[in-house]
Amino acid sequence: MTQSMNVAFLPMFGALLLSSAACSDKQEGPGTQSRSPESTATARPDAGAQRNVEAGQGIVLLRGLPTLGTVHSVAIVELDPEAANFGAILQDFERPDLQLPLHHLYYSPTGRLYSTGLDPKCSLAEVGLSRNAEGAAVIKGVTCLNTQGQQVGEDIIWHSVNGKEYMFVTFMGGTGVDQADGGSIGVFDPQSNAVIKIIEARKGKVAKGAPFLMYPHGMSAYQDRMVVTSTIHPDLATGVGNGITVIDLNTLKPIQNIVVEDAKPVGFPSSPVEVLFVRPSIVPGVAPAVLVNTMFGFETWKVPYNEAAKSFGVPAKAYDGAKAGTGVPLEFYGNDTELFVSHALPGIVKRYRLSSLPDLVSSGSDIKAEAGAHHMIFYPSASGRKLIAVQNNLLNLGKAADGDPTDVDFIAKVNDHSITVHDLQSGERLAKLSFKDRYKKGVENVEALFGSGFVHHH
Amino acid sequence: MRRLAPAAASFAVLIPAIAGSGCDARHRGATPLAGFSAPFVFGRFEVPADNPLTEESVELGRRLFYDRRLSGNDTVSCSTCHLQRLAFTDGRRTGIGVSGKPLAFNSMSLANLMWGAQHFFWDGRAATLEAQTLVPIQHPDEMAEDLERLVAELSADDSYRALFEAAYGEISAGAISRALASFERTLISSNSRYDQFLRGEITLNAQEEWGRKLFMAHPDVKVSLRGGNCIDCHSQFLTSGFSTRLDGFSNNGLDDEEHLQPGLQSVTGDPAHRGRFKVPTLRNIALTAPYMHDGRFATLEEVLHHYNAGIRKSSTLSPLIAEADNQGAESQEGISLHLTEAEQVAIIAFLHTLTDDDFVTAERFSDPFVRK
Repeated sequence: MTQSMNVAFLPMFGALLLSSAACSDKQEGPGTQSRSPESTATARPDAGAQRNVEAGQGIVLLRGLPTLGTVHSVAIVELDPEAANFGAILQDFERPDLQLPLHHLYYSPTGRLYSTGLDPKCSLAEVGLSRNAEGAAVIKGVTCLNTQGQQVGEDIIWHSVNGKEYMFVTFMGGTGVDQADGGSIGVFDPQSNAVIKIIEARKGKVAKGAPFLMYPHGMSAYQDRMVVTSTIHPDLATGVGNGITVIDLNTLKPIQNIVVEDAKPVGFPSSPVEVLFVRPSIVPGVAPAVLVNTMFGFETWKVPYNEAAKSFGVPAKAYDGAKAGTGVPLEFYGNDTELFVSHALPGIVKRYRLSSLPDLVSSGSDIKAEAGAHHMIFYPSASGRKLIAVQNNLLNLGKAADGDPTDVDFIAKVNDHSITVHDLQSGERLAKLSFKDRYKKGVENVEALFGSGFVHHH
Repeated sequence: MRRLAPAAASFAVLIPAIAGSGCDARHRGATPLAGFSAPFVFGRFEVPADNPLTEESVELGRRLFYDRRLSGNDTVSCSTCHLQRLAFTDGRRTGIGVSGKPLAFNSMSLANLMWGAQHFFWDGRAATLEAQTLVPIQHPDEMAEDLERLVAELSADDSYRALFEAAYGEISAGAISRALASFERTLISSNSRYDQFLRGEITLNAQEEWGRKLFMAHPDVKVSLRGGNCIDCHSQFLTSGFSTRLDGFSNNGLDDEEHLQPGLQSVTGDPAHRGRFKVPTLRNIALTAPYMHDGRFATLEEVLHHYNAGIRKSSTLSPLIAEADNQGAESQEGISLHLTEAEQVAIIAFLHTLTDDDFVTAERFSDPFVRK
């Protein structure tokens, strides 16, 4: 589990990612090329035009499996099923010094690559990328950043408030995993990576009934409001959340808690995991609302937002996994026509019409991935076929010292350690790469190397 | 395939034949370029398999680039029109070579040429950097050199014999073009203030940041978004252009229908390409005046004025320009961005952040014949 709330709003394959400018929704991938509207059908075929081979490559975070003698790493991998070397790791940058792996990759609006991390030594890192004399991408380093003690990094978003841009990072372990009600949001200077503020409001420390922040994980922001999920204590035992916290971005303080919970199909609190603030920059003209996936509630909730009053309405269930036969809904991703939601059980990606949001109106058949279906990327094959790759691993926060956690706990059932590649339109599975079989590692996260190919939205 | 215009066709046929003559992919013993590093965010680039970057080829290319013997009367080198201190431009409206006649085009900046590595020159008449290098050398008004004579002249020089031997194993027109292209590929500019901003090393001041946002935005009155509309055409503004077919050639409204110059049409023969010229890099733009393919604008202020209020309509005018207006629908008086004076100044302030002082002073790019 864990992770972001990414909605990918597609290619625009555009303007270098160098343009964080207008809003945080417009993130473009590194080195991407704009298609000029003047590139018309009248342009002659050009034999010199070469496909960017990186379009089919991904960057992945790999978990060393203690019982198999491997170590945690960041790797560049070939993911184009049409490539002769599909599945090949092109570079594996190992971090044997880390007890726990890096967790989730994000490109910043200016093209810097960050990763959250589970190891207390490296809860947030910047990944250095460069190019060699052949033009190939090279991972040149992983620099752990000072979080001022915040631990168990989860999601990152960049968002501007009152003309100032911030990098927000959720730390599910807050300023100490020993805290039963901990959790924090680090507010960072996106240029210097320095901590500006730690948003912390432990339930046991605030006045009774006052807004609190606990086990924060997924984030999404619109204008001067941010919503943050309350998921689960990092030890998976101490406590489980059942709501979202609203943050006033003018004051950087929690102002409201909203419970999103109904039936408890597995007996736990709902454990909201990822959240998407549906807004006009995603769906033109939409009445803003918040979508929330509940990991143990198996549901997707819709919370209306009154923009004028800056108030949130009554949550309503938009999708019931217990009835539909799915469990552990995780991520929101999107392109310019569809929203994709991953469900770790049985390992599928459901797809919805973007234009119908915040209502979930199916836009096609489920994409059948593998148990643990989680993060995804969108990219073209060498022949131009539109693809979706799904990383199948429900991330585990267990301790390596306890043995290979993927083999010993219930989460093992939703850890396939694979990436499956599908035709985006039909969902047909075209290839599967099992990292455990081929590299004796688990796969924590995948991001497209060639820019994002899409835009993160939270 | 469309028929190439005669002049372009002759170059197109001639140059590959010369450039392709008899060189090894990498001469045995040549050393792969050490310590090379380029910014990831510039994107993937491809170095031709038959001309990998080597220490020897780059050193040779640098020497050739600055050597006046490459011209027929030994008075003009590549660096005559491409001065390092001006980001490898010459400050003239159009270049002047051995004939003393003004050339047809403004001298283009040479920076980050590995990205967008096709369709060189303002009209895109060279398909590769290797092909590009031999065009000015042979052009009667530019360097007016005969390649056979040049090979003979360089062969008589002991130092060149050693340099060519180490790099390519022979002295030939092909080796000359490869060496020049290799040196030009190393002309990487990546330390402007904007590069430093992208790396998180600095912040831009308020005016620069405002200019950056305007630069990146296409105006949209419906959401009160003001924009300079620059990024629509200049999305590859940090490098040298596009790698996708003929993307990156645009008619930016310099002339009306009657006065449109051929531009890309001279290469493709396609009437739809009339008046379309290569969208250049904006890196070091504050150093590379005058501007446009014919150097008609002396200052960045004039350039901004053109985009704000000087667009001429024609049949091939970029729709991105025609549609951009910060006051809504196209106004009665013609196409205008309707930027305020302060907004134009902010955009220019941002453009100044693209100046890379290291690039224009780096010794590795400088004239090797100058005694230090």
